[in-house]
Amino acid sequence: MISTTKLHFNKRELTLVVPLYITGMVAVISILISVLFWRGGSLPGTTGWIQGSQSNPGILYALVGFLVYLGVQSVATTFPFALTLGATRRGFAAGTLLWSVTVSAYLALAFAALTIIEIATDHWFAGFYIFDIYVLGAGDLGLLLPIVFLGVLSMLTIGGVFGASWMRFGARGPQLIGMSTAIVLVIALIVMIPAAEDIIAAFELWWLAVAAAVVIVVSAIGTWLLLRSASVR
Amino acid sequence: MTNAIEVHSVTRTYGRVRALDTVSFAVPEHSILGLLGRNGSGKTTIMSIIAGQDRPSSGQVDVLGHTPFEHAPTLAQISYVRDNQRYPDDYRLHHVLRIAPDFAPNWNCDVAEELTDGFRIPAKTPIKKLSRGQLSSIAIVLGLASRAPITLLDEPYLGLDVTARALFHRMLLHDYGQHPRTIVLSTHLIEESASLFDRVVILEQGGVAMNGDQDDVLASAWVMSGTKDAVAELVADRPVLQRNTVGGLTSITADFALDDATRIRARDLRVQFAPASLQDLVAAYGSSDTDSTDVKVAERA
Repeated sequence: MISTTKLHFNKRELTLVVPLYITGMVAVISILISVLFWRGGSLPGTTGWIQGSQSNPGILYALVGFLVYLGVQSVATTFPFALTLGATRRGFAAGTLLWSVTVSAYLALAFAALTIIEIATDHWFAGFYIFDIYVLGAGDLGLLLPIVFLGVLSMLTIGGVFGASWMRFGARGPQLIGMSTAIVLVIALIVMIPAAEDIIAAFELWWLAVAAAVVIVVSAIGTWLLLRSASVR
Repeated sequence: MTNAIEVHSVTRTYGRVRALDTVSFAVPEHSILGLLGRNGSGKTTIMSIIAGQDRPSSGQVDVLGHTPFEHAPTLAQISYVRDNQRYPDDYRLHHVLRIAPDFAPNWNCDVAEELTDGFRIPAKTPIKKLSRGQLSSIAIVLGLASRAPITLLDEPYLGLDVTARALFHRMLLHDYGQHPRTIVLSTHLIEESASLFDRVVILEQGGVAMNGDQDDVLASAWVMSGTKDAVAELVADRPVLQRNTVGGLTSITADFALDDATRIRARDLRVQFAPASLQDLVAAYGSSDTDSTDVKVAERA
């Protein structure tokens, strides 16, 4: 299992540096947009400025595509090589999950560090809100850490199960998972929509944490079950 | 001598396709087995099963006394790189050399370095952009530097130039001499690698056509040529693997012991005979009919 985790970390730049590249690029774009508003008449530090800046979730969404790709490739292109090196399927699935957990913790800590710096520098000395935003807990590390950790882990494991389905069933695998998920979601909406107002009124943040945990567990088990009988391609 | 690999009645089907059909053979410890046969004969399939990368539909494979599938201690003793091996995205040579020792307990850096230098594998080019020969070179580096007790080499010569093939032979024999191991090597370059083999298994359409010590296998295989009638009289109803007829002349590859009486009769009939090479034998077993040349000549006419 540990060897498989090391195999994933063998591509250090992709795993550890590229997410920070992307975060940095999105931060620069967010700052440029803030400057645009500044030049348009908004004033840093005003209530409207702070509320508008903190409502920008770009920094989180920018990573979603990359993280899902990272999860897909962690299985689809690494699994055949891992078996060639002598990994068991069980060890590969467990080692990949351990790698996903480690990457999630690393990014959660990186985001926490950047948030601390942002707050300590009074938002980069110019009132720019990049990490101190609502979707990341608005500067509350007690919320930011689980949000980033569970969010990243969800994306990686979802990518992993799609990669595993491709290993098992070829192109039909991801199609099957995509279609099944869409059908389940639509049926859930059909069932719940009459009570939507009550559900929204009763919503608690921990529901999202539970939903993420369910997605992670289902994806990880699904990955293992699919890889157990997958042919090496 | 104990067997490092034992294959018992292994059948592997993919849907309606029967890739292997009740295949049985054994590979003694510290020997080199040549796994031969035409494309699609089942060589890669049986190697995948021996390597624990696939499971038989029925039958049993034991490697070092264990079923290899999902058995970590056994898998750590096996090296198997496919002829169409996939590598993770953006991998370069240094990625392979950095991670391989974590999985191969006997990994030898000196062997890896000598081979990568000898094969001139580009260090900075992504693996997915390497040529066929360079991909084969990486597979050979993994196969030999791992010094795995069970080393499976799947078409290691694909795309290799003559200098690289010579280096591979030299390094294989040198390292095998110093660190004996059990090697299964599949190849179509039979003449070039025949001297390596202690034993051979010839697969044909998923079944074992021939299995044994190379010397024993070749001892009873003959190529005979002469006039059509003379060869027919000599062979009578004995098994002929392949027959090529052009005009009144016939050449056959046969698999039967040549006793003194038959030799004398052959001389009388002016039938020339010579021991069949391993390549003759593989080609003969792979031939779809015993009168292929006749048919082709007839078709042309």
